[in-house]
Amino acid sequence: MSPSRREFLWTMGAAAATVALKGAQDVFWESDESLDVGWAPGIEERRNSTCLICPSRCGIRGRLVDGRLIRINGNPLHPLSRGGLCPRGVAGVQLLYHPERLAGPLVRSGPRGSGQWETVTREQALERIAEQLGSLRAAGRPEGLALLAGYSAGTMQDLWRQFLHNFGSSNYVADEYEDGTEAVMAVMHGIDRRPSYDLDRARLVLSFGAPLFESWWSPLQAFVAFANPDAEEESGPRFVQIDTRFSRTASRAHEWVGVRPGTHAVLALGIAYVLIRDELIDADFVARHVAGFEDFVDAQGQPREGYRSLVMRNYRTEEVSAITGVPVARITALARAVAANRPAVAVCGTDVAFAPNGLLAGLAVHSINVLMGSVNRPGGVLFADDAPVGPLTSPVLDETARAGVGRGPIGTQRPVFGSGGEALRFAAAVAGAEAPIEALLLYYANPIASSTDPSVWHEALEKIPFVVSFSPFLDDTARYADVVLPDLLPYERWQDAPTPTSYPYPVWGLARPLVEPHEGAMHTGDVVLDLARRLGGSVAASLPYESFEGLLKERTRGLFAVRRGMTLGGQFEREHHRQMEERGWWLPEHTDFEAFWDELVERGGWTDLFYDHTDPYRIAQTDSGRIELMPAKLLSALAEEGSELRPYLDVATQTAADSTEFSLRLIPYRVSTLASGTLSLERWLAEQPGIFPDVLWHPWVEVAPETAHALGLSDDTLVWVVAPRGRYRARLKVFPGTAPETVCAPYGLRQPDGEPANPLRLLDSTNDPLTGLPSWSSTFVRLEQA
Amino acid sequence: MARWGMVIDLDRCTGCAACEVACKSENNVAAVSVEQADMGRASSWMKVMAHVEGEFPDTTMHFYPRPCMHCDNPPCIRVCPVQATYIDDEGIVGQIYARCIGCRYCANACPYMVKYFNWYGPEWSEAERQHLNPDVSVRPAGVIEKCTFCHHRLQKAREDARAEGRELREEDYQPACVDVCPTNAIIFGDLDNPSHAVHTLKDDPRVLRLMEDLGTQPKVYYLRPRD
Repeated sequence: MSPSRREFLWTMGAAAATVALKGAQDVFWESDESLDVGWAPGIEERRNSTCLICPSRCGIRGRLVDGRLIRINGNPLHPLSRGGLCPRGVAGVQLLYHPERLAGPLVRSGPRGSGQWETVTREQALERIAEQLGSLRAAGRPEGLALLAGYSAGTMQDLWRQFLHNFGSSNYVADEYEDGTEAVMAVMHGIDRRPSYDLDRARLVLSFGAPLFESWWSPLQAFVAFANPDAEEESGPRFVQIDTRFSRTASRAHEWVGVRPGTHAVLALGIAYVLIRDELIDADFVARHVAGFEDFVDAQGQPREGYRSLVMRNYRTEEVSAITGVPVARITALARAVAANRPAVAVCGTDVAFAPNGLLAGLAVHSINVLMGSVNRPGGVLFADDAPVGPLTSPVLDETARAGVGRGPIGTQRPVFGSGGEALRFAAAVAGAEAPIEALLLYYANPIASSTDPSVWHEALEKIPFVVSFSPFLDDTARYADVVLPDLLPYERWQDAPTPTSYPYPVWGLARPLVEPHEGAMHTGDVVLDLARRLGGSVAASLPYESFEGLLKERTRGLFAVRRGMTLGGQFEREHHRQMEERGWWLPEHTDFEAFWDELVERGGWTDLFYDHTDPYRIAQTDSGRIELMPAKLLSALAEEGSELRPYLDVATQTAADSTEFSLRLIPYRVSTLASGTLSLERWLAEQPGIFPDVLWHPWVEVAPETAHALGLSDDTLVWVVAPRGRYRARLKVFPGTAPETVCAPYGLRQPDGEPANPLRLLDSTNDPLTGLPSWSSTFVRLEQA
Repeated sequence: MARWGMVIDLDRCTGCAACEVACKSENNVAAVSVEQADMGRASSWMKVMAHVEGEFPDTTMHFYPRPCMHCDNPPCIRVCPVQATYIDDEGIVGQIYARCIGCRYCANACPYMVKYFNWYGPEWSEAERQHLNPDVSVRPAGVIEKCTFCHHRLQKAREDARAEGRELREEDYQPACVDVCPTNAIIFGDLDNPSHAVHTLKDDPRVLRLMEDLGTQPKVYYLRPRD
């Protein structure tokens, strides 16, 4: 039987599909220029590297065709990300080939901010910068140089610090993500380090406002623990999200506990109350490692109440329920779950720390870990090591540098603990003083876009005669620079990429060039080395490296010599190494450094997955040698400040709207794909910024249906979000997960015409005096139809 | 003969949308301008949809990554006047761009709204053209495009397997969205092959298919969230 016409067409269909997918542009669409992308059979290659877009530093594997980066996938050898990747990482190809990327270095030719630029060569730009910096040193004012640096943990940060130090300046100003946990660890444990969370081995993760699946230190770390891809059966920990906002994390956690704004820590102490009352705490751990649990006599000889008395007297479940809005039965159930699912770990997030008494709230949250003995144990809070890379050469200070460093950093007003709000304090000091800073370098920092108070930054920039930006894009702050010397983009440069401290094991990821570097850009690490050479003398002598790549390779010798760890490897290799090291073994796999380096580059980094749980210094390094629930350092700091705040008593922020004019509480939040002010937004990411499929590109705010109804506003209306400090335009989205009387406002998007739409600019200026971190939950706004 | 299908575990999906971006990157899906996006003309072969239930504070939200369902009984091919959309022997519903006349009947017939019309030719800047995937053709104005289960990957995997003189293995052919998922929420394979994970998963008691009552027989299965 011959095929019917229909069947014939059918067969043709399948054949034509192959043609369409393979090379149809040659056959059918020759006339359409937009489709002529010049394709020809190419040479395909895959290379491992590390993503540098956010602090998580996941492993990536680039697919290259003829030297062009086509796709970015996860590197399955990376122990943190295990082959997974977030959308920002995947969209990296659009960052690399972004149309807004600067073609080359620029020097300002008109007035500041006028947008008039002259294109110069790299040599000219370097000469100009070196000349300015040289004159500062010649005038004996090296402390007039300042660097504002975004997140750059690793060798770039070490290099910048060393350069500034040798130059004679102490003005390294960090403008990076903070979650306040560093200060909590410093006061309670006496350890100046952010905590690590062993999510993989925990059985219960109690997250107090930490955006684990969104914009946390490492969403991938949380994803991997959540899904447990290495395990055969689903045995990941139970996630409980305690959050004001019904976030993406809250929706995907096994349980969401909605608390009233600013009352996370009260709930934590309510849980502690039940744990103590029902004798569910790890009494042995508390007896051996904890001070301040029972009543005690302080340094002045005064009797003081300990943690137990404070909690038992003030946090009865009924009272906690009245404050937090969480039913009594739920509080009891949470405490029982904590006790039944050990190891349980409490994670403290920005919603807790970004409050007027954030440090005290953080202490209350972390006290659950202490009571349950979830410290330095599998599945608890750990203190990880840094990767043991070799040091930089020792600094050499000449007379000028020593004098400059001796004059200290600008703006001596520092918070007692931590370094929150450093960038804004720096700007305020510069704006208020008479030209103390004569040159400012901007490295992955864009304060005009990201700061809560850009006007202070405008004033500060006015006062600084020479500003250099190393941004690959002409961002909001680079527009005010005198020289822009664009850095290479992440897929073009060498850089070490250690995982953030939230991950309990050191992973020294290596980012290497996947594609040929752009000729108009220059690796900022090489810029620093070049400037040092041009400045000569002791500055040059202390940084005797040919190139940044050479410097990285030199430091890698530390990893080669350390006799532990491994270059990244698959699941079997990881487990093999871990088990060997647990038994005190380590086998040398390389006798030759070059071979070690080659393998490290090929696989994408180095790691050591062994953690020594027997090391008592990872529990406490306080003077008492114990974890201090009533920290001596904190009590004396509070007494010195004349502060009224009392640990475990003043932990809630219960501000209410003080006027009828502004009655809605503003809750700003980060969106994982957008949380950066320094890199231009990729178009693919702008097309899916949030959970609303119909919101693309435009900034939006979320309100509850009843709130919208009361205001007479409907979904998709364009509104003004108005606060005493200012206003911005956004689309109104009605979302049933939003608490009544609140406005949840994502940040990171701007209006399509470039106008900023930043809810952080509306925040009142309250901050935590102890840590300097801003308050994110005490601002009230109103909505007006635009 | 294989019958390709997908299982998506709603308990594992965190709604991060890495699948969405990976799909756009793999398949050269062009972003449209802001104005076009406002008119609902952005394409996303894979789209993460949020399903919200309940009122505060008893709200629940689940994310449904939604690719083409590759129905065994696809409504789109019945309405196509020119046989531009078709289902192949292995169950993949494809689109022949050269044959498509842009009538959009199929887009209207598809209950899952996974067929996207190109109102304009793709707008790639000179720089952006660098990252186009040479395995997938870009589409001209006036045609419908859709998820192909990364069909080009199947062709490549099959060639490789043939060159090495072996059978196609499960891991040889995985679409881009499956590859990238950080929580392994998306599982892909041959529904008829007992050695593939999807073969067992499709009979899981948690299984749910979207708008099954329409008789479309979708080959994308969802694993319902546990309570």
